[in-house]
Formats: sequence, C-alpha cells, structure tokens
Amino acid sequence: MDKSMTGMGVRMADRLTSVIDIRGDVTAASEPALMAAYEEASRQGAQRLVLNFSRLEYMNSGGIGMLVTLLVRANRQHQPLAAYGLSDHYREIFELTRLDEAIGIYDDEQSALAG
Amino acid sequence: MNRVACPAPRRLASFALASVPGSERVALMQVADSVAHLNLPPQRLNKLKTAVAEVTMNAIEHGNDNRADLAVDIEVFYSGTEIIVTVTDHGGCGDPGWADEDDAEIPDLDRKLSGDQGPGGWGLFLIRHMVDGMKVTVEGERRTVRLTMRTTVPGGQAGGLRHIGG
Repeated sequence: MDKSMTGMGVRMADRLTSVIDIRGDVTAASEPALMAAYEEASRQGAQRLVLNFSRLEYMNSGGIGMLVTLLVRANRQHQPLAAYGLSDHYREIFELTRLDEAIGIYDDEQSALAG
Repeated sequence: MNRVACPAPRRLASFALASVPGSERVALMQVADSVAHLNLPPQRLNKLKTAVAEVTMNAIEHGNDNRADLAVDIEVFYSGTEIIVTVTDHGGCGDPGWADEDDAEIPDLDRKLSGDQGPGGWGLFLIRHMVDGMKVTVEGERRTVRLTMRTTVPGGQAGGLRHIGG
C-alpha cells in the first residue's frame, strides 16, 4: 500500500543545485525512490540538494530515519541539504529531531536556492 | 467530605485493523474522524494523528510481528477534558517490549550522523513528544498503549479549565 504512495522527481534548479520534488508519503518504504533520486541528482553534478516537501502528505519515524540516511550520504559527498514546503507540523518534528540543524529549512524554493 | 464522582470517559470509536502495512494510515484517519467534533486545533490534531500512527505501526511490526491474522485493536474515548486512545497488540509476553521507555535508546542526531547510532529509532521518541501522556499496560499477551491528549488547559474563568479547541 505505502510503496505506491511515494513519488520523487529530480530537476536541476541551477548549475550546482538539484531539487528533489517529493510527492505523497515519506516512510521507510520510500527509501529506494529517494536514494534513486539522490543518485540521479549526483549524476547530474549537484553539489547542493534541495528537498521540496510542498506535496508531502505523510511522514513517519521510518521516513525520518531515511532522511538521516540521506544526510549521512550527502555529508560524505560534502553536499549540503536544504528543504522547503514543510507544514508547521513537520517543521516542529524537524526541530524535535534536530534535523533542522543539519538541513537548512526555508519557506519557499526561491529562498532555499538563495540560501 | 463528599467527593464528586467523575463520569467515565465516553467511547467515541472502537475498531480493529489487520496487521498489514498501511493500517496505521487507516488508524490515524479513523481516530481523526472520531474526534473531529471536539474541534482540536489543527496542530494538536496533527500531533495526535502522528502519535496514533506511530503506536499502530509499532503494534503491527513489533507487537503482532506483521501477522495479518492478528488484529490491532483501537479505542478512542473522551473524558470531557482529554482524548484517550488505546492501541492493543498481541505481543505483550509479560513485558512492555517495544513500548518500554527504559529500554529505548534516546535517538541523537549527532551520534546517528557519526555512525554511532543507526538512522532509525525515532518512533517512541516521537510518540512521547506528540501527546500529553503515554502509559503501557500488559495483561498476558495483550499489550495496551494508552495515549492521552488534553483538550483543556488551566486558565479558564475562576481558575477553571479552558477548552483548547476553536
């Protein structure tokens, strides 16, 4: 059920930055899709990654764990991560888990790209 | 001194879900539907939904071992001042198991990023931070996690209670 509820798209927003558009759910079952998107972004030469959560419907603890895995991989490649489009609820969860200290949080794509 | 009897919490919903992936989404929607008339502020309702989903997911995966033939039983009550959600699985085995806070390692992002901790283990941490109370009871193989969320806060008229909702 949950596997089909995740969608990821990758686009180069500028020469060095890729945006990963996340649709639907972020759970442990989303890991293959997110990691494939990350690899695609890296292949495109992204030195910085922006996660677009504006079409996120649901994220659980498994999804948070998956974001930690992504952070570890991106840190190894010295690729900073940013995010935008989080609802107040998920912003609070990012604060609780301290993900907001490791991932720059912005209100919109323009700010995230400028950051 | 005479004591005023507290009315028993009123049951708002009672349902059982199969232990299959995705049932936690059904649980959070059904719980949200059952408390909709209480007009919790959206932020509080989202917290309750997240906690219910996490407890249900743990009940499915760790309590019932993903056995579809074992149900997760969920009940929702309203006491007049708080919402109570109970989630029961079949993995008690005489101890709190996955819901044992004393056994759970506190997730630490720095340790996770340095590889000292695995990336997961956020479930119990999230549950504790989303609701006002969490209590675990075990009776034989039946483990019940009881979540509480207040719908009132102190500070109403004459030091009474003020409803949190809109």
